[in-house]
Amino acid sequence: MSKKREKKPKPPKPEKGKFPKPLLRVLEEAGLLTENLIYCCTGDMDNEACYCSSWLSFDEKGLYIALGDEEIVKSKRKNHRPDPKYTVSEIQSIPLEDAESLETERYVSTGRLIMKKDGEQISLVRFSIGKIAQFENFARAFNTYKKNGEAEVPASDEPEENKCKKCGKPCPPGKDFCPKHNKNSSTAVRLFKFFGGYIPQIITIIAIMLLGTAVTVLIPQISTRALFDDVLSNPDGLPVAELLKALGVLVLSIFGIRLLNTILTVIQQYITGGIMPNVIYDIKVKIFNAMQRLSVNFYSSKQTGSLMERVIRDANNIYWFFVDGLPALIIDIATVIGVIAIMFVMSWKLSLITLAAVPVLFAFLTLGDKFFRSLHHRAWLYGARVSAMVSDNINGQRVIKAFAKEEDEFSRFEKLSGEHMKAELKLSLSEATLFPILEVFVLLLSTVVLGAGGVLVARGELSTGTLLSYIVYLEMLRGPFDFLSWISNWWARCADSAQRVFEVCDAKPDITEKENAVSFENLRGDIEINELEFEYEPARPVIKKLSLEVRAGDMLGIVGKTGAGKTTIANLIARLYDAKEGCVKIDGIDVRDLKLTELRRNIGLVSQDIYLFIGSIADNIRYAKPDATMDEVIAAAKAASAHDFIMKLPDAYETRVGAGGQKLSGGERQRISIARTIIQNPKILILDEATAAMDTETERNIQHSLTKLKAGRTTIAIAHRLSTLRDADYLAVISDGKIVEYGTFKELIKQKGEFYKQYKIQSEALKTIGIGVGTGGEKPEEDEHEHK
Amino acid sequence: MNTNNANTISPETLRTEYVSPETCVFSKNENGFLAATINGKEYKRVILTRSLPLSFPSDYICISDIEKNELGIVEHMADFPKEQQALMNDELDQRYYCPVITKIESIKEKMGHFYFDVMIGDFKKSFAVRDISKSIRQHGDAIDLVDIDGNRFRILDFEAIPSKSRRKLEPYLY
Repeated sequence: MSKKREKKPKPPKPEKGKFPKPLLRVLEEAGLLTENLIYCCTGDMDNEACYCSSWLSFDEKGLYIALGDEEIVKSKRKNHRPDPKYTVSEIQSIPLEDAESLETERYVSTGRLIMKKDGEQISLVRFSIGKIAQFENFARAFNTYKKNGEAEVPASDEPEENKCKKCGKPCPPGKDFCPKHNKNSSTAVRLFKFFGGYIPQIITIIAIMLLGTAVTVLIPQISTRALFDDVLSNPDGLPVAELLKALGVLVLSIFGIRLLNTILTVIQQYITGGIMPNVIYDIKVKIFNAMQRLSVNFYSSKQTGSLMERVIRDANNIYWFFVDGLPALIIDIATVIGVIAIMFVMSWKLSLITLAAVPVLFAFLTLGDKFFRSLHHRAWLYGARVSAMVSDNINGQRVIKAFAKEEDEFSRFEKLSGEHMKAELKLSLSEATLFPILEVFVLLLSTVVLGAGGVLVARGELSTGTLLSYIVYLEMLRGPFDFLSWISNWWARCADSAQRVFEVCDAKPDITEKENAVSFENLRGDIEINELEFEYEPARPVIKKLSLEVRAGDMLGIVGKTGAGKTTIANLIARLYDAKEGCVKIDGIDVRDLKLTELRRNIGLVSQDIYLFIGSIADNIRYAKPDATMDEVIAAAKAASAHDFIMKLPDAYETRVGAGGQKLSGGERQRISIARTIIQNPKILILDEATAAMDTETERNIQHSLTKLKAGRTTIAIAHRLSTLRDADYLAVISDGKIVEYGTFKELIKQKGEFYKQYKIQSEALKTIGIGVGTGGEKPEEDEHEHK
Repeated sequence: MNTNNANTISPETLRTEYVSPETCVFSKNENGFLAATINGKEYKRVILTRSLPLSFPSDYICISDIEKNELGIVEHMADFPKEQQALMNDELDQRYYCPVITKIESIKEKMGHFYFDVMIGDFKKSFAVRDISKSIRQHGDAIDLVDIDGNRFRILDFEAIPSKSRRKLEPYLY
């Protein structure tokens, strides 16, 4: 009876914010009491930015910095984490009362952990910039512990270290193994899973391919060996008529075999053609669906082009490998095996000569492939650069013409295109040199085989037909060998595409709905922001401990300079991002506890970036409510002051807009987007610089539309032009992520602070060009105030 | 129009505030950070930022306080006394420090990622680069490489590294 092998458990991952046990032992030996460590963090530099391992920790007594080395000893066990060997050279202890707080500083390629003591800044340790999130968490844990005796770090913020489980070398984010230890098979297995529903067809395809290969391999036996040995040499001395009859049978047999082969190929391609579009459809749907789930952050960090490439080009790369590459691979492997077997049967002596040349041929092809890959890559890079420049040039035509830079642009293009041409030329010339050398080598091999075969024929050990068919078989090997030498690259390209596809499919959205997310029963629209903190990148805070409150039905105006964090507040209310610290509450419920669809349905966002989808104007207006009647659509358009201009268009509400559609002005597009929000009927309305890019006349029209839209809703209006915020119940002036002033329009003017300063600058600027600060050229409010 | 009005954008406000050795003196504070006295006002810690870090690392150096308010600009560091330059360079070196690659042991491409084994002085470092053409930036003789974690590595002079190392990286440069 076979003894069932017990599965050994893998060593557990170190707990987040804790050191691994072997390190704790080494630190203990070096004199650090590790029993009560509260939070730990591992760095990679000392205070002078020299590479070494640094281990930071704190307990209720002090803050500890240990420096030393970590040597990765590769694990011999399969898929096992590496066993690191630690040495500690120095431990610095700082009494907890001495360290008031910790903070990080971000530099170009490194970061620094700084301790504050009596208002002074003291540098503790440097680290590579890639570790800044860990150090930020350490500082946060320390600061919260100092403040309230508890180290708080959101678990989701703790990034995983991208190190191979086997050798400790870097590996792509989200992967457990570096490419050396990552089995491509895992990608292959996942790819093949897409074919799960077509197993009978795949078995049929493979069977047909093998049958087809067997038939192909047999052809030289009949078309060459039998033709020469059995017919043309006439070994039995048959009369001409009999000979012609035998020749006819042979020719018909050859025709029949070729016909059979063609029929098999047609059947195989027919079945493959039936499966592949379905598989590619499944892959594209899966990527697109995954992309819809992902948060805004994912889209900000990836270029649109690269994402589109994933949906279209990567899926096609996979398609072509499976349609062209894989069948050819199966056929070629079967051909090589079949042909070599037949060659050995025909003449083992000649086959030994041939086999001796195979490694040389294979090495030649592999080296050539490596050399060409490098040249191909260089040519591709230049090609990509030329394409990028053309695209840049087309998009920037207005600027180029305005600055009369056509000649300069042409020179730049000529230079770059020249470099591309040189790279292509080098590639073509190298190919033109290398391939004839290969031809000569193959010719040499054929000559040697022919010479040796001739000797065997002369000795009577081999028939002429067998020798000739042997030469044909030799030729048959060339194609498969050539193919097999570069199929690995084809597979690498396919696996690379698959990996990118799976990266999107596996990406976890930053914004997720809680399992027990709650719904609004009857939304009022109270908004409360408590101690909000947010950063797009670690150690670059955008919102700093911001608190404010908006009562249901009120309008809050947010003003501030570009980059002050105004739009970020809007994004956090709509939960397009999650706060790092603090919270946003709607009707007293944290937005993170609410159902996402319900939250977004109740928040209407009109922003400066207006996006209209490809489709009719009516379709765009009813985007939030697809079942809206035409009456509702027209009513919304009228409320948004869009109806009049829509009716002037030849196709009115059926005018196609979006990419390739009717060109609309910024104001017209904005009015459609307002109509879209009106039909959504949200309880909370966010106007993010909705009229920033409009001229005064358009702005006045849109303001009129917005006034209608605001009625009965909680409104947050973000604006540069302060005059647009006169209706606001209160205003918040944001600067560097903080509220610096808060009050009504009149109160802020009275305060003569930042708001007043901005207001004066705007009114002076508008006076200079002969426009009053208001939209209709009315007298500035401040002047009225002063007169009073 | 009143051009003297404080709220009007005047050419005065747009003028760059250059500092000179007479108006700006640098020193080190007790914790090793750079301090300065600018126009008679003492700043316990100042931060220096290069305006053109790649082309003119010693010119147009912006001085700001820890709140990131600009205090002035050093047009040319060479105009300052040697010991003042040394203080500035020390601060800039810390801020712009990039591990310098002295040798490339290997570059392996697999599944769209490039895996570098390099020497940074005597220290062997491995890192991975995702999109190699976008992660390499050439400026003059120097080359910057950015890995998947955002860490930056620099080759100070591409022609000065061993020829074997050059050959390994050359196919990816353009």
